[in-house]
Amino acid sequence: MENQPTATTKIFIDRVSKQFNIGFKKNDNALARALSWLSGKESHKLLPVLKDISLTASDGENIGLIGRNGSGKSTLLRLIAGIYQIDAGSLVTKGEIIYLNGFGFGLRDRLTMRENIYLVGLLMGASRKEIDDRFQEIVEFSELGNFVDTKVYQFSSGMLSRLRFSITFHCLKHKKADIILLDEVFSAGGDLAFQNKALLKMEDFFRSGATVILVSHNLNLIERYCHRAILLEKGKILHDGEPPAVIKTYQDLINKTVNVSL
Amino acid sequence: MLIAEEKWFKFKNIFRISASLAKANFALRMEGSYLGIFWYLLNPLALFFIILFIKKSAFSNVHIAYYPVYLLMGITSLNFFRQTISNSIQAIASNVDYIKSMNNVAPEVLVVSVVFQAVFSHVFEFILIAGFVIYWQLPLIGLLIYPFLFALFVLSVLGIAFIFATIGVYVNDLDNLWNIFAQLLFLATPIYFLVTPGSAVYLANLFNPLFYFLEISRSLVIYSTIPPLWMILTMVIFSGGFFIIGLTVFNKYKKKFAELV
Repeated sequence: MENQPTATTKIFIDRVSKQFNIGFKKNDNALARALSWLSGKESHKLLPVLKDISLTASDGENIGLIGRNGSGKSTLLRLIAGIYQIDAGSLVTKGEIIYLNGFGFGLRDRLTMRENIYLVGLLMGASRKEIDDRFQEIVEFSELGNFVDTKVYQFSSGMLSRLRFSITFHCLKHKKADIILLDEVFSAGGDLAFQNKALLKMEDFFRSGATVILVSHNLNLIERYCHRAILLEKGKILHDGEPPAVIKTYQDLINKTVNVSL
Repeated sequence: MLIAEEKWFKFKNIFRISASLAKANFALRMEGSYLGIFWYLLNPLALFFIILFIKKSAFSNVHIAYYPVYLLMGITSLNFFRQTISNSIQAIASNVDYIKSMNNVAPEVLVVSVVFQAVFSHVFEFILIAGFVIYWQLPLIGLLIYPFLFALFVLSVLGIAFIFATIGVYVNDLDNLWNIFAQLLFLATPIYFLVTPGSAVYLANLFNPLFYFLEISRSLVIYSTIPPLWMILTMVIFSGGFFIIGLTVFNKYKKKFAELV
């Protein structure tokens, strides 16, 4: 493990730990909160999620992050994205970050597809002019050209998935991000043909020259696109190395757990 | 210089995204129909007619010049204040996706958009006030000053909205407390009655930003008189003060929001 970031380091994480106060939600009404504050006995049930994590990611490196549910993958991405704050250690990132967690946000059911494209596009950081320029591309890629002025509550779930993916992808692909964090984004929805089309588009992220960290349960994707893989288990890095070797460790871990439970 | 430019860019971005979000939410509320505006105005109008009726029947001896305009300005201002704060309480907690799934939406956007949405709605209330002013043949000059005064009031409401949005993340039943407080505010603020200087109600109102806005705007719009300088200065100090305190509180706690919602 390197101890200092170099000129090409985009992400530098040194002994980072994170825990959540899961007792917080027990006392979330005003009276309980006031009483616990007055008594000085605030609920502090802490759940450690990441323990002593250290890693560096260099310019242009594609890293796959794998592990079982609850192993801390999403928390780690959110820490890098600056959405969560670290409790201990140090975390340094260089450049602009795109963080994408699925494609399920922002659409308003009672607005038309056109209105939604502008709203979500703006939320994704694109200017009105940029959305104007990409509008046709978004509509064409989603294959929903006949429904531009239809309110999206009338769309099927497949149509919604296509629209979400198309807006998100086209609004982000022009951004010159230095770090791209993708959390389970490869289930774009839609039919198989659209999923393949979306996957091909997503390859643009891996070829963009940015540092990409991909969280996915699809191990084929990790093997195909990543230069390196990291296995997280119970908030710790269990294996950091070549994707085939790390995937093998992960599969052994899963098999061991299944055998024990059987 | 770079920091100032960065801050200006961030401010512009927050303003732009908030306005778009508010516009979308406003359109949703109106559902593309003018009937939506009617429904929005129905609440303050109903209250207006009820109070007007009570005043005429039970308190006809109390004289307040141009009472319908006086009352309408009181009700619409309270409506703006009450709705903004009420919506700001859930502004963060009800937009978990924006907080947790994206790193490019500043949490400030969610609160500012709530205020913008209320400002859009207030435009229709302002048109109603303007209609009353014209009907009662009052000088129009006050109406021209009203938007500037209102902008100052919006600043203080924004500051208060930041505080309530922050507390709303920590306390899930704050809206119940706010509803009770809003009732008190309705009864204590001179919405439908005159307040006598020196009285207990008057003294209590000296801490109420809504009171200053109402007194000054009524002086200008209805009575065409310049309000006392101390009152204008207090309103300016209150607006700046509430805004700075609200923003400071919000900035202090916003980094924790994603972990709490």
